[in-house]
Amino acid sequence: MISIDNLTISFSGKKAVDGISLQIEPGEILGLVGESGSGKSVTALTLMGLLASEGVMETGTIDFNGTCLLKAGVKPDQKLLRSFRGDQMSMIFQEPMTSLNPTMKVGPQIDEQLLLHAKDDFKSAEERKKRVLETLEGVGLRDVEKVYDSYPHQLSGGMRQRAMIAMAVILHPALIIADEPTTALDVTIQNQIVKLLKEIRDREQNSMIFITHDLNLARRICTKLAVMKDGKIVELGSTEEIFTNPQTDYAKKLIAAVPGRKNSKSAVHREIERIEPILTVKDLNVFYKERSKKLFGKTEHKCVVKNADFEIYPGETLGLVGESGCGKTSLCKAILGINNDITGNVKISTVRPQMVFQDPYSSLNPSKSIGWLLEEPLRAEDILEKSIKYTKETRKEMAIDMLRRVGLDEYYYDRMPHQLSGGQRQRVSIGQALITKPSLILADEPVSALDVTIQDQVLELLESLQEEYGLAYLFISHDINVIYRVSDRIMVMKKGEILEIGDRDQLFDNPKHPYTKELLAES
Amino acid sequence: MKYFIKKIVTLIITLLLVSILAFLAFQIIPGDVVHSILGTEATPEREEALREELGLDRPPVERYLNWGKDVLRGDFGVSYRYSKNMNEMMPVKELIGDKLPVTLWLALLSVGITVLIAIPLGVLWAGTKNKFLDGVLNVLTQTSMAIPAFFLGILVTYLFGIAFKMFRPGAYVSYKTDFGGFIHYLIFPAIAIAIPKIGMTARFLRNSTLTELTSDYVRTARSKGASEKRILFKHVLRNAMLPVVTFLGMIIAEVVAGSIVVEQVFALPGIGRLLISSISTRDFPVVEILILYITFVVIIVYFIVDVLYRVLDPRIREK
Repeated sequence: MISIDNLTISFSGKKAVDGISLQIEPGEILGLVGESGSGKSVTALTLMGLLASEGVMETGTIDFNGTCLLKAGVKPDQKLLRSFRGDQMSMIFQEPMTSLNPTMKVGPQIDEQLLLHAKDDFKSAEERKKRVLETLEGVGLRDVEKVYDSYPHQLSGGMRQRAMIAMAVILHPALIIADEPTTALDVTIQNQIVKLLKEIRDREQNSMIFITHDLNLARRICTKLAVMKDGKIVELGSTEEIFTNPQTDYAKKLIAAVPGRKNSKSAVHREIERIEPILTVKDLNVFYKERSKKLFGKTEHKCVVKNADFEIYPGETLGLVGESGCGKTSLCKAILGINNDITGNVKISTVRPQMVFQDPYSSLNPSKSIGWLLEEPLRAEDILEKSIKYTKETRKEMAIDMLRRVGLDEYYYDRMPHQLSGGQRQRVSIGQALITKPSLILADEPVSALDVTIQDQVLELLESLQEEYGLAYLFISHDINVIYRVSDRIMVMKKGEILEIGDRDQLFDNPKHPYTKELLAES
Repeated sequence: MKYFIKKIVTLIITLLLVSILAFLAFQIIPGDVVHSILGTEATPEREEALREELGLDRPPVERYLNWGKDVLRGDFGVSYRYSKNMNEMMPVKELIGDKLPVTLWLALLSVGITVLIAIPLGVLWAGTKNKFLDGVLNVLTQTSMAIPAFFLGILVTYLFGIAFKMFRPGAYVSYKTDFGGFIHYLIFPAIAIAIPKIGMTARFLRNSTLTELTSDYVRTARSKGASEKRILFKHVLRNAMLPVVTFLGMIIAEVVAGSIVVEQVFALPGIGRLLISSISTRDFPVVEILILYITFVVIIVYFIVDVLYRVLDPRIREK
């Protein structure tokens, strides 16, 4: 139905897509998988005719049901492309918050599809509205009248993505391109959206291109996979074939890096001696102040973590899962002492615990060198602890030593953060956390922003450091597969409450709480 | 409701602070109003008598409180400098009331011209793919911002007044005698004020439009098959206007306070000129009220901007 033939796209001379050919048949879900920068999104955007003006189509043709949409060297017919876009093929984007117009109500944004492509099929605006409401219902939204009149920011992430999907399916296009449609969503919502996409495909029999970096996800939804690397398709075949019998080294590496129960790296079960806990949290309630909207209303204390009760032992990893807003980060802040508005008890038997954050791009000060950043915790310690005095030289020595330990060369000492890749930056963040030699590290989604293979390397680093120093981790992640791989015990949180805490394998084999069951359902 | 009460309280506190600061400033700056009123006729006795008559012999705190009481009662006092006729002092209210319409009309016209030209220009500029037009607009707006106000005033006078003979330079027509002629005369100083503002606003709108054009929701709109024109006007414009509204508010506040240079060049009896001359003659009652007026207007304009922002951006509305 759709055929891409020998497509090459370059950005200022550099090839982003390099001679790929693909066929998509009706009813098929083709997964485009690969790491960031492998050319997945560029391919999809080109197919939509949405390639940025800096991109040059050097070779290739794209045919859609016998119509030639794009051909290298021929100026694209924008009018033809516009008539296909939205009507014949539509796209679902990653970020449902920014992908919808913030100053336009959701209903009219969906209605725009009808206005643009099928205005004559409807007699009136009311009829179009009826159709939009039906479609909103079709994507599993309730209270559709209200959704219709809502602005995007008034909806939750999952609802926004459903609205986005409604927009994409309202005209029953032959092809739907979904570009990382669930990456920005919570796990349980992610599962719902994947289910919805499958339902739509079954109902309408349209083809789908599903772009993702998450191989577990691709395995669940796609019928066919194209593994991309550096702009080339390195392997193409049915999903089962590629997962059970990958041909190329790259595909093998990629599949081996996927965390999960089926992965041998995860299967190790360690025996931890639990004698003296390094962290004891007892009856902990964490509050934050919320200012009342009323004129003379009092500021209210909102309880964001309720009766937390757990401990972590030396050398152990406690995995913490839960949706965004469930109180994971508030819990960390309370343990670190950043938020003092607490009741209950936090007892730590080590020096100041340190934290590793999610986004290695924004959590390192861009104007400081790596060496300076690594030394910063030492400087802070210098001020806080009277007994410790570092000279400039010892600080530098310690920073360089730490660089080696996190697997970076000495010369990175003088580099700036923007010169490093995401994985390297996360290594620096880990080095920063370790340099004051704490025995407890709080890791808040430390690998969520990284590609699978990089993720694998960073996890390996964390594991080897744990072994070497007997570190204890409180490891937060929304990715149940990553949690499975790193944790000895797992703690499940929802709405500020700890629902369940237990040994990893027991919890996976025999989840007690229904919410845990839901979380684990698709792992 | 809470929002409005908060705004009004802020307004009152600001006015109070500004009036105290202006009063203090008059205590500190050198120069004596009695001197400047009496001029060459000054003798120590006459000075003393006048000082007593104006109440200037009292302690500063008492003078401020007395003045404040009067203002709250609606009595703005009389000018030290101007008199109505031989026997009557000039009330500040009348003095300012006479000149206020000139400045307000001038402000309205110049802001009107700015908005009417700058907004279409900015959008057109952002939308154009024509490199030449882009370059021309770049140079033009840059130049308009760089020319000093007085020179721009002279330029407008020469061009429209002397070359095209569209108005008679210096022949100001009072709004009391001929309103049509008044507006006709005002258009030209308004143009002089508007030119740099048009340059700034158009540039600003162009840049914010270009930034919006790279955002994700524009990509979504394109993926739906919307045309570039539709994207620009239906999706982008409203979002791109958000920062521009704040910017326009700053411009309005500036012109409503009176454009001293342009009023001077075009011989307009406006607030700006009154303020300068009153400061130089130490005409305290006039200056104090003028400063309060300017503060009041600036705060009100920002308040309107705030409300407008809420109308344009649903995300702010609920906070």
